[in-house]
Amino acid sequence: MSWKSIYWDDVGEDDELPTQTREITRTTIVATAIATRDFTPVHHDHEAAQREGATDIFLNILSTGGFIGKYLTDWSGPEGELKKITIRLGATVFPGDILTSGGKIAKKYTDGDKHLVDVDFNFTVPMGPHAWGTATVALPTKG
Amino acid sequence: MSQDVYEKLQAMVGEEAGPFEAPNAVNEAMIRHWCEAMEDGNPLYSDEEYAKKSKYGGVIAPPQMVQAYCMPPLWPKKEMPDPQAKAVQMMHEAGYHGVVATTTSQEYFHPMRPGDRLSYKIQLVSVSPEKTTRLGTGHFITSEYTYINQNGEVVCIQPFTVLKFKPAM
Repeated sequence: MSWKSIYWDDVGEDDELPTQTREITRTTIVATAIATRDFTPVHHDHEAAQREGATDIFLNILSTGGFIGKYLTDWSGPEGELKKITIRLGATVFPGDILTSGGKIAKKYTDGDKHLVDVDFNFTVPMGPHAWGTATVALPTKG
Repeated sequence: MSQDVYEKLQAMVGEEAGPFEAPNAVNEAMIRHWCEAMEDGNPLYSDEEYAKKSKYGGVIAPPQMVQAYCMPPLWPKKEMPDPQAKAVQMMHEAGYHGVVATTTSQEYFHPMRPGDRLSYKIQLVSVSPEKTTRLGTGHFITSEYTYINQNGEVVCIQPFTVLKFKPAM
């Protein structure tokens, strides 16, 4: 399989990243909780989640980080290198929610020999924004 | 909050715990499990042939995975002293019963390769003055995790902020 790369030379500020959607199932929530080694009951035990005041089990924070990294390198290709991700957290993700991921290049710049972009990303569920913030990605150049 | 508890929390700022060692070395089974759950097809994480030709010379772990390697075991239970958890508990006892994570960030400095042994330290870095938010009145408590590998190289620095609050009526 061949992998495309997004080159720093070819992107500009305000460029939008392609939108992705994923239906978050109960299986997604449990599989990501266990893959992130987070055994907190609210991420797999319905009754425990309700005792904590939630309507159902919900996605854990480490998985939000995992989804954001996946979203960014799906766009950049494997030569894109994640340097920094800052996440503000909002609405909870419950089973059955459609998680919609979007992003836009906020800044394009260099730092020493690194060719960087800051991507403002937005992950939303029907209830509202789930996670948003900025990620710095180093991109390859054509030079 | 009573001035008393706030002063005690302020005095705790700078408190550190660790280093704690990750129970397992970075390994391909946990990477695959992660990629399946996240639906992350990045070949640097799973395709040895592709990764060998990359600048890394072999498979690496998704950088966001760093914390997963350092999570406490489900069994046997292990006490991991944590100054942020201690601050949250003190505020709980002072009547601030709500808690919500507000911001987290990770900055990456060094890739993780299978076989790497990770460890981390956690430090309480700030407790904000009382703030009134949509959720209620409370304090933002920020800690910072520093992850290093077996060579003492910093892999990732991760600040993490929670709001501990009295729910608005």
